[in-house]
Parts: sequence; C-alpha cells; structure tokens
Amino acid sequence: MISNLILFQVIVSLFLGGAMLSLLSRSGKFARSMIFVPSMAGSALTILFSIDVLAGKPLSWAIPNMIPFFNFEILVDGVSAFFMLIIGIVSFAVSLYSMGYSKEYEITKRISAFGFLFNIFILSMFLVVGSNNGFFFLVFWELMSLASFFLVIYDHEKEGNLKSGITYLVMTHFGTFFIVVSFLLGYVQTGNFSFDSLRNSSSSFPFLIKNLMFVFAFLGFGTKAGMVPLHTWLPQAHPSAPSNVSSLMSAVMIKIGIYGLVRTVLDFTGFGASPDYSWWGLLMVAAGSASALIGVLYAVIERDIKRALAFSSIENIGIILVGFGLSIVFASYHLVSLSVLALVASMYHTINHAVFKGLLFMGAGSVVYATHTKNIEDLGGVIKYMPWTALLFLIGAVSIAGLPPFNGFVSEWLTLQAILSSSQIPSTVLQISIAFASLPFALTMGIAAATFVKLFGITFLSRARSKHVLNIKEVPRNMIAGMSILAAVCILLGVIPFLGISLISTAFHLSSQPSSPFDAITLQNTAGTSFANLSMPVVLIILSAMAVAIFGFIRVIGGKTTKTICGTWDCGFGSLNERMECTATSLSQPIRAVFRVFFKPHNETNKEFFGQTNQYLVKTIKFNSVTKNIFEENLYQPIVNSTLFVLDRIHKIQTGKVNSYLLYILITAVLLLLFVRLNH
Amino acid sequence: MSGYVEIAIGVIQALVIVALAPLITGMMRKTKAKTQKRTGFGIFQPYCDIIKLLHKDEVVSDQSSWIFRFSPWVNFVAIGAAAFFIPVFLSNSPFGLVGDLLLVIGLFGLARFFTMLSGLDVASTFGGLGSGREMMISALLEPALFLSIFLVALTYGGTNLSTLVGAASDSPLLPHPQLIFAAIAMFIIILGETGRLPFDNPATHLELTMVHEAMILEYSGKSLALMEWSQSIKQMILFALIVNIFIPWGISSSISVSELGIGFLAFVAKISMFAIFVAWFETSVAKWRLFRIPDLIAIAIASLMIGIVFYFL
Repeated sequence: MISNLILFQVIVSLFLGGAMLSLLSRSGKFARSMIFVPSMAGSALTILFSIDVLAGKPLSWAIPNMIPFFNFEILVDGVSAFFMLIIGIVSFAVSLYSMGYSKEYEITKRISAFGFLFNIFILSMFLVVGSNNGFFFLVFWELMSLASFFLVIYDHEKEGNLKSGITYLVMTHFGTFFIVVSFLLGYVQTGNFSFDSLRNSSSSFPFLIKNLMFVFAFLGFGTKAGMVPLHTWLPQAHPSAPSNVSSLMSAVMIKIGIYGLVRTVLDFTGFGASPDYSWWGLLMVAAGSASALIGVLYAVIERDIKRALAFSSIENIGIILVGFGLSIVFASYHLVSLSVLALVASMYHTINHAVFKGLLFMGAGSVVYATHTKNIEDLGGVIKYMPWTALLFLIGAVSIAGLPPFNGFVSEWLTLQAILSSSQIPSTVLQISIAFASLPFALTMGIAAATFVKLFGITFLSRARSKHVLNIKEVPRNMIAGMSILAAVCILLGVIPFLGISLISTAFHLSSQPSSPFDAITLQNTAGTSFANLSMPVVLIILSAMAVAIFGFIRVIGGKTTKTICGTWDCGFGSLNERMECTATSLSQPIRAVFRVFFKPHNETNKEFFGQTNQYLVKTIKFNSVTKNIFEENLYQPIVNSTLFVLDRIHKIQTGKVNSYLLYILITAVLLLLFVRLNH
Repeated sequence: MSGYVEIAIGVIQALVIVALAPLITGMMRKTKAKTQKRTGFGIFQPYCDIIKLLHKDEVVSDQSSWIFRFSPWVNFVAIGAAAFFIPVFLSNSPFGLVGDLLLVIGLFGLARFFTMLSGLDVASTFGGLGSGREMMISALLEPALFLSIFLVALTYGGTNLSTLVGAASDSPLLPHPQLIFAAIAMFIIILGETGRLPFDNPATHLELTMVHEAMILEYSGKSLALMEWSQSIKQMILFALIVNIFIPWGISSSISVSELGIGFLAFVAKISMFAIFVAWFETSVAKWRLFRIPDLIAIAIASLMIGIVFYFL
C-alpha cells in the first residue's frame, strides 16, 4: 500500500515531468504524447488520490522554513479532495482530448511552450487546493494565474487575443490584491501565514476583522470565479484561449475561486452561527442571482459559440453562489439540516458545472477544429458531418439546461428546494426577500434552456449557412473519447444522484448520508411529512417503461411506417435556401426585444430605393443592430478613463530633465530630514 | 399487498390521463365551435385523428437529422412519464416518493427543448419563428411558474404532489387568501403553457401568430400523432393539477372501490367543467400581440408577489 504522501509527490513530479518533457519535444505525434500522457497519468492519479483521501486518509505534510519564515504546508482534507477530484476528472478528459486537438496548432507553431504551460497550469491548480499556508497558497495562485494568462495569449497572432489577455491579467491581479489583503488581516491577528493558526484562532477575532476578511476574500475569489460585476475578463479570456484551455479554465479554474471562498468562509473567517453573519449569505445570494441573470442574458444573444459558453459560466457560478449563500444564511439561523441541503446543492452544481462545461467547451472546440469559425451564424448542419460531436454536445446542452434525467436537473432541483426552504427562516423580511430573489433565479433557468436550444440548434441543425461547413469531417477519435468521459459522468450524476451526494457529504463531513443508491432524496417539512422526494433511478425506469410501451402501442396500432424523404415545405415557391432559414440573431430577437432595457439595442436600417420618388420599391435593405454592454460602458470605462486621467497628471512631473530630478531628490531629502527632526 | 395495489392505482391514474387527454381536447374544440355558432366535430374526433395519423405514411424533410425523428418520442415519453406523478382521483400516489412538481416541470422542459430543436432542424422559415417565440414565452413563464409553485407548496407543505393535494383536500373551502392570487396566476400560466389564447392559437396556421404549430409544421403521420397526443396530455396534466389543487373536492384519500369511483367521477366532472370554461374563455378573448405577452405574464407575477406577501405577513 503506497502512502498518500508518496502518491501526492508522484502526481507533482508527473506534471513537472510533463512540463519538462514538453520543453524538450518538437512536433508530431510523439511530442503530443510526451506532453499529454504525463498529464493524463497525473490526472488519473489525482482521481485516485482524492478518493483515497475521501476514504478517510487526509494528508498533512509540512517542510518547516522551506523559505525563511515561511513553512511549506500541505493539507488535503475532504474539501480539498473534493475539488481535486473535479480537477482530476476534467483534466484527464481534457488531456485525452488535447492529444487530437493540439494538432490544429502544430501547423503554425511549436506546441512545446503550450505543453509546458498546460502541465504547469494543472499542477498549480492542484497545489492551490492542497496548500495549507497563505504564502504558498498565493504563490501557487499566482502561478495558476500566470500560466493561464500565457495560455490565453497562446494564439496571440489573432486579433484581439492580446487585449483580452491583458484584461484577464489586470482583473486577476485585482482579485489577488483583495485575497492578499484578506490574508494579511489574518496575519496581523495570528502572526503567521499558516492556515492552521487561522483555523484555530479565527473565532476569537474581532467582529469587524471577520467581516473585513470575508468581504475582501469574497471580492478576491469572486473575481476569479467570474461573479458580476467583476466578470468582465471571463467572456474575453475564455474565447481567446485554445478550446482545451478554455475547457480547463471554465470547468476547473473558476471553481478554484469557489474553493477559496468555501475554504475562507467555512474555515478561516470565524463564521459563527448567529444572525449577525446572515448578511454574508445574503450578499452571496444577491451577487449570485445578479450573476446568474446577467450572465444568461448575455449568453442568449451571443453569436460566438465560445463567448456564449463563457457567459453561461458566469450564470452557473451565480447558481453556485446562490446555493452557498443560502447555506450561510441557514447556518447563521441555526437551521442545520437546511444549511446542509443548500451546501449539497451548491457543491453538486459545482461538480456538475465542471463536468458539463468542460464537455461543452470541448464540443465547441471540436466544431472550431473542423470548421475554423466560432461564429454560429456561419455554421449549421454540422450534425450531418459530425454526428458524435453533436450527440455529445447535445448531452452537455440538455444537462446544463437543467432537464431530467441529466445532472443539471438534480443540482437545480436541490437549489430550488433550498430556496423553498427559506420560509423556515425566522425573519419575515428575509423570507419575503429570498422569495422574490427566486424570480431572477427562475428566469435564469428559463433563459438558460433557450440559450442552449439556440447554441445547439443553430450550430448543428438545419442547413449549412456558409462554406465553412463544406467538406468537414468528424474529429479524431481521442477527442471524441475525451468528451465521452465527461458525457458519461453527466449521465451518471444525473441518474444516480447518490454518487454526488455521498461524495459531498463525505467531503464536508455532513451528518446526513444517503444509505443506498436507490434511496429517494427526501426532504421533510416542519410538520414532519414529506415535503419533496426525488428518486432519479426510478424516474429513469418510468421513462424507459413509457418508451417501450408507446413504441409497442404505435407499432401494434399503426404498423410499419413508410417514410418518404422530401424537401422542406416551401409554400410552393421553391428554392428554399440557407439565407431564408432562422439565424441566431433572429432566434433570440424576441428575448432581446423583451429585455431591451437591459441590452439597449441600437438599430439602424439603410434602404436603397429603385427610384428617388418611389419610396415603396426597395432595392436593397441593410439592417444593423448593436447591443451595448452596460458594464463595460458604465462601470469599467469610467474607471479606466479616470485612471488614465490621473496618470496623465502624474506624467507631468516626469519632464526628462536631470535638473528637475535633482530638485525632486533635494525636496525629498529636506522633507525626510524635517520629518525625522519633528518626530524627535 | 397494499403496496402493489397502490402502484397499480398509480399506473391506472397515469393511464387515465393518457387515455382521456384527447377527449378533453375534443370537448374544448366542440365548446369553441358551439360558442362560435358552429356545429363542430364530435368530441371523439381527436381519437379518430390520432388513429388516422398512425396509419399514414410519413414525409420527412431531406434537411432534417435524427433530432427531428427522435423528438416526437422524447415528447411523448417525457410528458407521459410526467402523468405518473399527478394525483387524479386518489390523493396519495405511490409515485409521490419518486418525483414532485418540480420534476413534472422539468419533464415538460425536456419535451419543449426537443420540440424547439425540431422546429430548427428542418431548415424551414417557419420552424425558427416558432422556436424563437417559444423560447421567449417559456423563459418568461418560468419565474411565474416557480413562484406559483413556491406559494402553493408553502401553503400546503410540500412540492410532493401527494402531500400537496392531500393537504388541499383536507382543508375547507378557500382556507388561505393567498390561494386566490395563486389561482389567478396559475390560470394565466396554464393558458401560456398549453398554448391557448391569448398566448397562442392552436387552431390557426398564420405565420404572424403561430408558436407551437410553427414548430411542428413539418411533422406528419405517426410523428404528428405523437406530437398532438403529447400536447393533449400536457394540457390534461396541467388542468388536473389546477383542478386538484384549487378545487380538490371529491378526491379519494383511501383505497376503497366506492371512494375511488366517486373520486373518478368527480375528477371527470371537474376537469370537463374546467376545460369547457377555458374554451369559453378563449372565445371571448382575442390573441394578444407577441410583445404584449410579457405584460400578461407580469400580471401573473405581480399577483403571485401579492400572494407571497399575504402568506408571510
């Protein structure tokens, strides 16, 4: 039996080895295996390792004074193992997928740098989750941010990618700043950076310090998670990165933000079960609902397939935050079992989102790989050429839309039940406000389904809209295999929620454990009778029974069907072509019109007439509609402008003349001398 | 032993919904014809239509993929499975332990997802129009629907339909003021969900207005039969829900032949009355313009918000 410390070290060295090997390698199939086989092995071992930890063997390891004053400390407990499991599953699938996908980049550039960063990126996420010391946590955090930054700008020749990389770099450091402040507050209280000392003494911190630590951690980790209004980097960085990287970033990296939040709130900030802390949860519920609704509203009108998926990540982070926030609210009112329900809901959604968003980004990557376009207005009919990709993307789409019997439904069901349980909070104001907060949440779920109808329908169905779709063929087998793994997990977590729930309750040491895979999820109301039940395996049995029954019935009554293949009905006019079919823009037009207050669409119509006098016979008509991004224009642009303004003023003192610099030195020296003299 | 009887009754309840659904559609068409001073078809016409369609050949568009051929089956299976969770004449269904009201809504969502996809699949100009409109209406109905579930579930202590309908049938006439608001909202939501006037007119094929019909325009033969039938079942389920939640009188709470018989008769009477009322209501309103539909849904949401405040205060 290998101890899990050795396993941990093997994982780290596998990723490091992968990084080194990729620097040595050139191009070709051999190079690809040198890069991705170590990361696959590392990810597979990560899965084993986290299961080992969850089975009751936490890992704690420290190297005192590795750098003077800073102890290198590793602690892998249930919570870390849960997030490591997510990292392992998704990275394994993505590495397998990348074996085929990175062929795309070999034509233009060497993939050795890519392989190096790819391995380092996964390794840094793994180490962030395992760190038990604030200093090393931040080191690995920074490593993760930088590795992902370089991966985002890997395709730097393409227009706009550098700009989105810079936005990402600035925003991620903005977030890191807040995390550092939060940790420093803890340092001031405890005198060292070890998480253990925070854990032990945080409950005795002053109330103000606890609140400040929470707020800063919330802002910092929220930026990484892509919470509105700090989300602005996300829809830029994810589409710019190569699709396997966007898959990792969206599925795993933003979950590390959630990990940080969960870790800080539950472990370090000295959260106490008193209504004084309920505003933490309410803040999260508010930010979560806003993120969910705003994310999905942008996703539904988006035409770039990867940007739409990125916006949908913001939406799902919102759902996770709502669940986690509710859990905090319940805990602060001593409603332990409800708090457990909400926590399970939000963590279930965390793992679900990792799985289906990883799958969807890989699916989008396959489409881009084959067609070389991200604009869904140019796609269409892809299902006929790439049936497997289409099927797997459909599984992801149905899952993320929250439809039974897939995994998204289970976590959204749990979250909705958590919202319904808010009626047990002994505060009328909270009851009513959470009830009303469920409005944007439910609206989000409705629009999310519409978003994925649009993304799947316009990309894969109907007629090809441009020459991009001609002569495409199905992607290589290892890409399909990578996606299939995550699709299988989607179905498993949907049909057997027992898997996810027992995983979460083991990881978080929750009291209520489901006993058998076929037990229904049961929630009780205050009267002690059943409030709600859900048993997905039986639902699947009913669905299959229904399918068999109706198939038999139709066959017996109707007999054999003769199918005639014929053109789509064109009202007898003939020559129905691809320019007449529905586009992504026209499909989402009703929603855009309803939410015009939010989108502020600016429409412009230019007509050219046959004759100047006759305004009825139109020769050409051109319609242009632009929607505004209210966050970019009303929040970020003023900040950027005022910063530039201030910098411009400061710029004035930089004259470039030696004389003036000498003057500055003189003034500084005089001021310092005065300061010293006066202080005496 | 009683376990098997309960399961058997649960299955029978589902079969009642599946079997009687076309009859309700027929009754509504007949009522509409009568109120418009037409003779109309007999109330059993939908059954004849389904059987006729089952015997017909199918014409499939050359642009379509397997999604188009698959989605009638998904529709029927999802909506038919939802019927298992609905209390019809016995309030305590064994399938209450399997799924609740939110699952029923989820299954409807699954059916609708595939219907919208099949509207896009055939590359016709109409299908996309219908799907886009359906996207908007369904997205906006979702918050109203959830809030009404919120209100009803809190009043009766559960989204579990057995608990819900059981509690409703035990309580006196209009026990809670908030239920009036819930009922108003539910009525609007059901008109929207089933695509009745003023949301959508199931009887026309006018490109300016059609929503559901536009999506299923390309279907023929068995597929069309499945689509029509599952739409009827969905309507029946929603009617059964509103009837059993807000007017639960007569529903049986124990397994005895006489009570079940009374329960069944009461159910048929209630749901027919409700269907006739909806049909009559449809004749007396005009179709609303598509972009006025949000106003209607806003009325439902406002009504529910008042109800929620009533509940908590």
